[in-house]
Amino acid sequence: MTVLPRFKSAILATALLASTATFAMAKDVTISVWAGGTGPTNDYRIEAIKMAADVVSRQAKIRGEDLTIKIESQAWTGWDDFKQAVTLAAESGKAPNIIVSGHEDIGPWSQSGLLRPIEDYVDFDAWPLNQLYPNLIDVSSYDGRIWGIPQDAEARPFFFSKSHLKAIGYSDADIEALPAKVESGEYTLYSMLDDAKKMQDAKVVEPGKGFMPRPNNGTDYWQFYQSFGGEMVDAESGKLVLDRQALTGMYQFFVDAVEKGVVPATYLGMTWDTWHQAVAGDKAGIWHGGTWHKAEWEAKWGLKDFFGQMQYSLIPAGNEKGRANTITHPLVYLLSTGGSDEDATLAAELITTASEPYINALHAVKSGHLAIGSAEATIPFYANDRWTTVATEGLLPKANAIPNNSDFGIVWKAMYKGLEASWTKTNSVADAVKAVETEVRNALGDKIVIR
Amino acid sequence: MRTSSPYRANLLGLAFMTPAMVLLLGFFFLPVVLTSVFAFTNMSTATGISGGSYVVTGNLLRSLTDEGLDAKTIKALRQSSYIIDQAGLEKARTAGVDAKFITEIGERLKDRSFTSSSAFERELKTLPSRPTRVRDLKIAASAFEQSVLNVRYASRGEMEAALSHMLENPPQGAVEQIATASYTGWTWTTENFKNLVIAPDTWRIVGNTVFYVVLTLAFNVLVGLFLAITTFYLPSAGSGFFSILWLLPRITPVVLYAVMWKWFTWEDGFVFNIAQDLGLPAFNYMKGSVASAWTVVILVNGFVGASFGMILFSGALKAIPVQQLWASEVDGASRWQQIRYIILPHMRWPILFVTSYQTLSLLSSYEQIWLTTNGGPGSTTTVWALEAFKTALNNYTGNLQYGLGAAMALILVAVGLVLSIVYLRLFRFDEMMSKPKIEF
Repeated sequence: MTVLPRFKSAILATALLASTATFAMAKDVTISVWAGGTGPTNDYRIEAIKMAADVVSRQAKIRGEDLTIKIESQAWTGWDDFKQAVTLAAESGKAPNIIVSGHEDIGPWSQSGLLRPIEDYVDFDAWPLNQLYPNLIDVSSYDGRIWGIPQDAEARPFFFSKSHLKAIGYSDADIEALPAKVESGEYTLYSMLDDAKKMQDAKVVEPGKGFMPRPNNGTDYWQFYQSFGGEMVDAESGKLVLDRQALTGMYQFFVDAVEKGVVPATYLGMTWDTWHQAVAGDKAGIWHGGTWHKAEWEAKWGLKDFFGQMQYSLIPAGNEKGRANTITHPLVYLLSTGGSDEDATLAAELITTASEPYINALHAVKSGHLAIGSAEATIPFYANDRWTTVATEGLLPKANAIPNNSDFGIVWKAMYKGLEASWTKTNSVADAVKAVETEVRNALGDKIVIR
Repeated sequence: MRTSSPYRANLLGLAFMTPAMVLLLGFFFLPVVLTSVFAFTNMSTATGISGGSYVVTGNLLRSLTDEGLDAKTIKALRQSSYIIDQAGLEKARTAGVDAKFITEIGERLKDRSFTSSSAFERELKTLPSRPTRVRDLKIAASAFEQSVLNVRYASRGEMEAALSHMLENPPQGAVEQIATASYTGWTWTTENFKNLVIAPDTWRIVGNTVFYVVLTLAFNVLVGLFLAITTFYLPSAGSGFFSILWLLPRITPVVLYAVMWKWFTWEDGFVFNIAQDLGLPAFNYMKGSVASAWTVVILVNGFVGASFGMILFSGALKAIPVQQLWASEVDGASRWQQIRYIILPHMRWPILFVTSYQTLSLLSSYEQIWLTTNGGPGSTTTVWALEAFKTALNNYTGNLQYGLGAAMALILVAVGLVLSIVYLRLFRFDEMMSKPKIEF
């Protein structure tokens, strides 16, 4: 071998080594995010993580690290398929790094080992997590640990068509006073049925469209249980509660609504599109939905003047035992046990950054959701939005949440099955309540208090 | 002369059968075995499938109190503290915490204790070499934690060791009791079957299933037979065209087929508009009334099954010796007499086959119902297979009860097996399949 080739070889080796060093410094990480209940108006659930990835990459660059974060995302519009996908993916070791789901999933998913407690990865004493509303942190906690970071909040109000109320004799002042009457318990669910019937009799709405509740299963139906005095958790023992009297009141209310002809017996299972079309098109008298629906009605269903067309209030009380109420059902960012601890650390950093008020406000205003922290509520972009502000001030403080309990799904499933059975008159109210009681007692035994 | 060994012939037969056996094992026996195993467990989303771990949680302590575990033990388990001692420093070193940081912890915080993680972490943040990443700080803090509360142990042994370390003189059997109760995974049980028997809902779904299977089956067989016979009497070109037309429900992808039915029966759909023009009640026929929903469910499945019957019956019709029909025509038999006295007696075997096969496939079918009425309105068109699917794999609350769903599926398998035996006996399949008495 001559000197020159040896020299060449040395240069080549050095170049190769140098390039290896460059590669070693550059770091490509892929973080996967799956979100449920996510359509075009609430795409910031994922976009916020992408924005956070950009910020974190820039921070890394300033520190002298070459970090490239790739976000792989999947969004599901519904919940059934999403929860099935997450659960089965986790069982086969392919869970995404970040899951955006309802807070009630924390119970079962934390028990099965699907989640990492996020409190082990983030600092709640530091910005921006130190300004999150404490009640939302409570909602993201289970069994003494914080498992998730709230992604949004909301309230689920009752809506009234102003024009149809006027058609049955309400003055502008009466309409303005309605939310206060609902809150005080003066205007009940049965007053509402009477008004819905009047609207149908006055032929301003079609028969069966006087009252248009949520067309399928959802957190919303627990509000009616609360309207009749039901509690979901026993404050003292922390156990789940099934209140037979409240359940009877709630089922009977929907049966009475059917009897009155303001809602059909075969109503449940109607499509969302039909519902949106009716309520946004002022074809319905009274209905209930979520604060986020305003954005959907404006974006997709042609609603022009929300405040001119609709009045909103809490869900009225059903009887003197119940109360006017609303339920908030925050979605939470959760960290799965999938991937390495290093990936989870980065994912947690992205979630923290995505919770920055300016970024989260994009989601809140675009989708009609409410702020997750006190600082966000003061950001002009959010504070100047009339709907988010009135909902934050008027509805959110009165909202409670469904419990994070790994067994709550069993009670929920039984409750809705009973509602379907009594509503469609497949079972009498008494038999439906009895069936729910039997089902939850068999499944949960002492873990539930049946009153 | 070389004689072939009977063993060799048997082996060859076995070799030919192997692929079928493997498929049968993989696609029938294995799922049935797995379903049987799952059916006797309380497996759910919360317990997971692949096994659990051992965790003492606040809720668990509450239920252990209800079970009568002594207050002193509960109090000891509830305690969580952070003690800066040599063992903790060693643990931090093993966990890969920065050596300089460990030294500072040792020097400045030695022998101190904290009652909450946040208080300890706040103290750690004041140290000069504190890590920049939150996660690193948390890892360092956890090394000094003296608690079993909310710590996940992979095995029972580890949990028992931790409990023994935490509890001073625990009562007899307490460690075992806590370890058993702290298991998060699934356990064996027969409760699924008991609960199914007790649940009032069960019998309603059984009723729905019987109603659905009987009516759809009747539709399948009668329409299939009608189509086969009518196309038999058509000229071959016309009969071919009609046969293909009736095959469409079977060859159309199931989702597309369901969407077409939606368009057909939905509000503002085909039937809706015609009914409106005729002044008849116009509504969403798929979901708007129980009677129309059942009609849709039966027709959707009925048309798929009818085409299956039609194919088999048409084949069987072609096998009827045509001389018998000619002879009957010479004798002046009408079409109906030909059908009644020549065709139907020849069709006994295919009718029985279609009946038994379709019963079993209808019992386990749910996909068309899921995609059309989804068991509604309410749960009025929910059948057993759909309920089993929703219970085990697909529901709004995400509470997937694999054990209960598998128990429901297992009952379906058992009913299917019993019905198969009944059909075999009732229709004497063995006689039909036996060797002919006359040798040709």
